[in-house]
Formats: sequence, structure tokens, C-alpha cells
Amino acid sequence: MANQNGTSRAETGAPDVAEMWRSWLTETERQLNSFFGEALGTEQFARASGNFVDGYAVVQRSLNQGMERYLNTFNLPTHSDVVELGERLHAIEDRITSLEGAIRTLAEKSGVDTASNVTKLRPKRTRKPVPKDGQNSSA
Amino acid sequence: MATSTRPPVVETIIDTAQEEAERTRERMRKGLDILLARNEPPVGITPKDVIYSRGTLKLYHYRPMTDEVYRVPVVFVMSLVSKPWILDLTFGQSFIQYMLAQGFDVFMIDWGIPRPEDKNLKFEDYVMDLMPACFEEVQKATGEEDYSILGYCMGGMFALMYAAMYPDAPIKCIACAATPVDMTGMGLFRKWQDPRYFDVDRLVDTVGNIPSEMMLRTFELLRPMDRLGGYIRLIDNLWDQQFVYGFRIMYKWTNEQIPFPGETYRQFTKELMWENKLATGQLTLGGRRCSLEDVKVPVLHAMAEHDHIAPFAATKPLLELVGSEEKEELVLKGGHVSLVAGKNAVTRLWPRVAEWMSYRSV
Repeated sequence: MANQNGTSRAETGAPDVAEMWRSWLTETERQLNSFFGEALGTEQFARASGNFVDGYAVVQRSLNQGMERYLNTFNLPTHSDVVELGERLHAIEDRITSLEGAIRTLAEKSGVDTASNVTKLRPKRTRKPVPKDGQNSSA
Repeated sequence: MATSTRPPVVETIIDTAQEEAERTRERMRKGLDILLARNEPPVGITPKDVIYSRGTLKLYHYRPMTDEVYRVPVVFVMSLVSKPWILDLTFGQSFIQYMLAQGFDVFMIDWGIPRPEDKNLKFEDYVMDLMPACFEEVQKATGEEDYSILGYCMGGMFALMYAAMYPDAPIKCIACAATPVDMTGMGLFRKWQDPRYFDVDRLVDTVGNIPSEMMLRTFELLRPMDRLGGYIRLIDNLWDQQFVYGFRIMYKWTNEQIPFPGETYRQFTKELMWENKLATGQLTLGGRRCSLEDVKVPVLHAMAEHDHIAPFAATKPLLELVGSEEKEELVLKGGHVSLVAGKNAVTRLWPRVAEWMSYRSV
């Protein structure tokens, strides 16, 4: 950056503190990432994280079961009920999709134009790659 | 204008102070934007049509940007791990838009956000059911028999599995970006999933899909200081419109982590992480062997030297494993995301991929 006399920071020899700080930040971040990387790559950490995931699964399972009992008591749909409903809806969607496909195939065989408006507006598929010498042959 | 008589060092200090005051004003304004979630940058804005959907899957057909396109369409296959708009960030930073501008007819398979009922989806469902259905739709939409595939991260893995399972499929070529194949190189991920300590069955049986929060924290643990460092850099650069814009987009993408389908996670952990079956050619899908040796189409593989998610050691062996005669690799500096969406991508990856595909798309 130049000041009013037209002399830049580099020319005046003034240190760019902000730039030094940024370099320090980058280097510190790199070193800390490397340090943590080593710590997190140990067998002890793998065991600890495995235990954590197990604990999480146990807590989650008991919460799920408790909630399921609670919702059943009040005659409300549980998570599994909703998932089951979702699966059934999914199956219906799949059926509809396959029926749509079958109808479209039948229509095409009967000579009916089934292409969507978007598909009809496709550009020509005749483009050629630019030759490596730089001359455009697609025009 | 009168020339100042102050010593140059004093001038510099005064200028710096003025500049900092100006920047502080900007920092406060943009900081408020972020805190109040105002002026969120738009993402995934390239115009497109959904031409097929099934469950959470959507097949997009992007609207062409040129009057004349290459004969062979390109189908982007996204990873299961994150949202697909990383490939369509914003104007000037969109891989999709770049390919459209280069004259490709572009499609994308977006797996969507898995719902609880998707917990049973396995590799077989993606590779042998959903992908073939999408390619069939691409063929119908274009009237062309063949197609090329571009897979990012796990999407690349799916593309290779598909090509291996269907050697007669009319695939013109495959471009993979940051695609891990040799799981012995997966670094911390592999250590954390040590079969002696990690009970994947208990986890999947309990939670179904792996929660997005768990996925996010796992990725963050790979480089624990990145988030804090990112915030500090943000505060430092809050005055800089371009920096803040880029930060907000990437922050949004990183934090919009999606759940991972449970059965696929179980399969990924046991068969790929523990037994490395993809690299050793022992993987079976739907009772049939899925060996990368059976991939015979031209393959381009782009990988990042400092990728901490799909480490170089895990991506590098891809070309040795595929059976293609025509294969090429591209090693770029940078990380997992900057490979496809950073400055590297705009100037190096995108043009190279477009050029490589152009000769195979006529």
C-alpha cells in the first residue's frame, strides 16, 4: 500500500504486522492440525471413539424404546409407524413410476409424441471438439 | 496538493489506521449480515428440469447454454455424503455451468436427502437399480444411446462400480474426481473404524441412517482446527466482499451435511473399509462380482494432493485397478473441495475435463 508521499510499506521498511500475524495463524493451524491428527490417529482414540459410539447407540436405543412405549400408551404413531408408512408410500411411488413408464412406452409405440416441451427444444447434437491446434471446428 | 512533512513511517502508520477503520466498518456490516443470515448467497442456480424422480432421487437435465452441443450427454453422479450443489456453486464457480458453456448436454443424479425409510438402501440399489433407471431416462431425453459419466468422490466409485457390473453398457467415458478406491489409504477414517472397537452393526441397527450431525463432526475431526481457523480468517477478512461471499457459500455447504443411508454405511464399513474388497476385486453386488478390472472404458481420474477426506493414498491406485486401456490421471494441489470448486478447479480441472471429454463426446 502506498501512502500520501507515494512510498510503500515495503519501501519504508515498516513490517507488515497483519501479514506476519496471518502467516503465524496459518502455520499454527497447520501445526495444531498435525498435532491433533497424530493424537486422533492413536489406538487409544480409536478405542475411546468406539466406546463413545457404543454408548451413544445404547442411550439412543433406550430413548427410542421409551418413546415408543410412551407414544403407544397415548395411541399415537411411533417413529417406526411413520417409517413404515414412508416405505409404503415409497412402494406406491415406485409403482406409479413404472406405470408411467409403461404408459409412455405404449404411447410411443402407438405413434404419440411423448417428448416434453423441454426435450423438444434441444439444440443440435453436432458440436465438434476444438482441434488441439486451437482452430474451432464446431462453427 | 501539499506534500506531507511527516516521516514515511508515520505516514504508513496513519494510512494503515485509516484503512483499518474503513475495514472495521465493513466488518461490522458484513458480520451483521452473517449473524442475521441476511443476503444469503444463492447456490445451485443453473436452470434445470427434473426429468425423473424416484424416492429422494432426482435426475436433473440442465438447460443448454449453446446452440450446438456434443452428441454424447454427460451425467454427473454425486456422492452420498453431501449436497450436490458443490458442483453448481454460483456464477463463475459452477462446474456444471462451465460444462454447459463448453457445449455439453449435462445431467445430474442427485440422490437427495435420505429419509428414514431409505435406511435399507445398499450399493446394489444405487448401482444396479437407480443408476440404470437414470441412464435409461437420459437415453430417452437425448435420443442417444451412449453417455459419459462424471463422478465426484463416492459418485466416482458408483460410476466405476456401474461400469464394472455392466461392461456392455454404452458408456463413452468416465471422469472421476477425488474417488477413493484403496481403503488402506483412508487414514484417520480407517483408524476410527477399527473393527476391534467400532461396532457398526450396533450403530446402524439403532439409528438407521447415520445422523448428519455425526457425519459432520467426523469430517471436522479430520482437521479439528479448520473451523476455528476459518472463523478467525473470516473476522480478519470481513471487509472483503469476495472473501465473505466465498466463505458463506462453503460454510453453508459444509454445514448442510446430510444423513448417510444405514445399510450402505454398514456395507461401506465392512466390505470396503475393513476388507478393502473394491481394491482387491472381491466385492460382490447382488451376488455378482464387481471388479474394477472389468472397467474397460476410457477413464480420467483427477485427484488432490492434500485431500484429507479421500486421501491421495486412497485415490492414487485407481488407474492401476481399472482394466481400461485408455486412462489418464491428473494430480492437482489443494484439497477435496478445492479440487472441484476452487481456483484450481476453474483454471485447471474444469478445462482439462472438458477437453478430455470433448474428444470422446462426438
